[in-house]
Amino acid sequence: MSLKSLTKPWQSMSYGFLDPSAKRELRRKMLKSVAVPGCQMPYASREVPMARGWGTGALQVSLTLLNPQMCVKVIDQGADDSVNAASIRRFLARVSGAPTTLDTLEAHLIQSRHRIPEEFLREDQILVLQVPNPEPLRSVQPNMSIARQMHADADYGRMWLQLYEQIVRSGRIMQGASYPSMVNGRHVMTPSPIPRWDVPKLNMSKHLTILSAGREKRIFAVPPYTRVEPLVFDDVPYQVEDHGALTCKRSGAKGFFMNEIPQDDGTSAFEVSDSEYGVKSIRQRDGEAVNLGGTWYKHGEMPK
Amino acid sequence: MAYVATRGGERAIKQSERLFRAAMGKIDAARVTEVKQALPYLVDRVMGEASLYDLDLAALALAQTGGELYEAVLLLRAWRTTQPRLCVAEPVQQQDLFTHRRISAAFKDIPGGQVLGPTPDYAHRILATDVLEGTPFVPEPVEPGAKPSPAYQPSVSAWQAKNDLVDLPKPESLHGNDIPDLTREPLLFPSKRAHTLQSLARAETGGVLALGYAAMRGYGQAHPTVNELRLAEAEVVVKHPNGTAFSAGRVKISQAEVVSKQGEKLGLGFAATMGWNEVKCISAATLDLNSKGAPKGTPTEEEFFLYHTEGVESSGFCIHFKLPHYVTFQSSLDAMRDAKAKSVDVAKEPVK
Repeated sequence: MSLKSLTKPWQSMSYGFLDPSAKRELRRKMLKSVAVPGCQMPYASREVPMARGWGTGALQVSLTLLNPQMCVKVIDQGADDSVNAASIRRFLARVSGAPTTLDTLEAHLIQSRHRIPEEFLREDQILVLQVPNPEPLRSVQPNMSIARQMHADADYGRMWLQLYEQIVRSGRIMQGASYPSMVNGRHVMTPSPIPRWDVPKLNMSKHLTILSAGREKRIFAVPPYTRVEPLVFDDVPYQVEDHGALTCKRSGAKGFFMNEIPQDDGTSAFEVSDSEYGVKSIRQRDGEAVNLGGTWYKHGEMPK
Repeated sequence: MAYVATRGGERAIKQSERLFRAAMGKIDAARVTEVKQALPYLVDRVMGEASLYDLDLAALALAQTGGELYEAVLLLRAWRTTQPRLCVAEPVQQQDLFTHRRISAAFKDIPGGQVLGPTPDYAHRILATDVLEGTPFVPEPVEPGAKPSPAYQPSVSAWQAKNDLVDLPKPESLHGNDIPDLTREPLLFPSKRAHTLQSLARAETGGVLALGYAAMRGYGQAHPTVNELRLAEAEVVVKHPNGTAFSAGRVKISQAEVVSKQGEKLGLGFAATMGWNEVKCISAATLDLNSKGAPKGTPTEEEFFLYHTEGVESSGFCIHFKLPHYVTFQSSLDAMRDAKAKSVDVAKEPVK
């Protein structure tokens, strides 16, 4: 037996870019975060060949999970063709050999910045969300070590107070995206800056969601069939964006989260934010045989 | 098929990268050598912030990014993080540093002597415009002193400790792989001493200066006196599997000790980094000096300055604001419009 037969030929890059020790740490931290839903787990967060704040946390998760048998989809603000989504997709495919797709139904792993697709996700799919700021308490407590203690004590009083103050001042809760949500009745998490429209999609969902903040070095998860409840008062119902009655000017799709496009005449037009859902709707309208999946929202409403 | 027509993403990315690279043109080994020789202090700064001591790779990163420092450091860090950790070198002791420059502002003379070494500190900062007119600038030759300075000196704080002026920190008892490594584990607070010093060593020079300067101006309690500033070379001593310790080479390092009166003793702040970078070491040591007992949320509190001087993280987050944010923006717009509509409704109600 020669030494050569026991070793692999030298390669300039590990499979999936990250070295095995980094992947091992990520796997352990992912398991921990699944075990304690919504609880932020610190991890080393290696540098990757992309700038911090550009999805490096989710990228590390994707790089750890991907294999050539998995199909990967990458979206940024709902769109597959956004420049950064295209760049991440190209990188993931290049270093993992995984095939890519734009179709939510075909994907096994979806890395997303700030949207959950409009079509249902299944048990065999993993959603990896990019997270700029993992700390829901940041606006009431910028110090991370104090905030960590507050989570340990389930001390969310200031969070509630902030929401209450918004109602008093503005007549409604002013939180836009990143709506603070209670996971499994224990940890308040930020669902990442997904619109309020998308938060109910996380509740008791069939798929696993992993949220990873590379710059802030925190990972947390919503396992399948876990309660995710936006923080609301009993007498003030949760309010998603008022998009239920809007129609996409390109595809005619109605009742989904939209991008607002300002028009020259001072009005606004709307386009479906989930770009591939828009494309499929157009194809279907044009008579192509398209596999359009079931959607979380029906007629602009989330069924109870 | 209107959506498909807008899918220019891939091509646009490729062409914009080409535009960026076109400005630098062809990069060959000669260019890397030229960068390495012409810009040693820049190479040092980048190596320190990347925590990777390799002159060639640092010069290559500078050439490849056209001197975009944050990009250069990110390139090196992303390369470094995939490399295996082969072994941990022996700790470097101050008295074993091959010292090029060593000054103290605390005493006129110190055991081992003041060694000015290489510095532009006392040079008149006059731009050598003659070079542009065709007259090359040729530095005058260095005239060696009659008696060479000793290459190895004790630390100033060692003398102060002997005279009961300062309490030196207890040496860490951890060895080898047990030493906490910031590149392999997250930074948590209160931070491990090793993590603090490692963070400062790889912090972004400008960031450390900004916060260190804030402390110096008065947003910190302690005014630093430079006890000792050193530019030196350290032997990288590693152990062969058969037990023999040997030097694998030398690396340039800089370190600063700053002190201030704290009761009847001197408080001590310390920082060191790879490469020669005096501003960074003095600023970082000043932050270290001020961090004990600093109120939360102030620039001299450990969590505040360690998080905010991380160059790769801070620059990355800053440039990420260029990415589209229209989903989050749309979500805010919705809340704003609804609140506005509600306030108009309230105003319409007659006052009873």
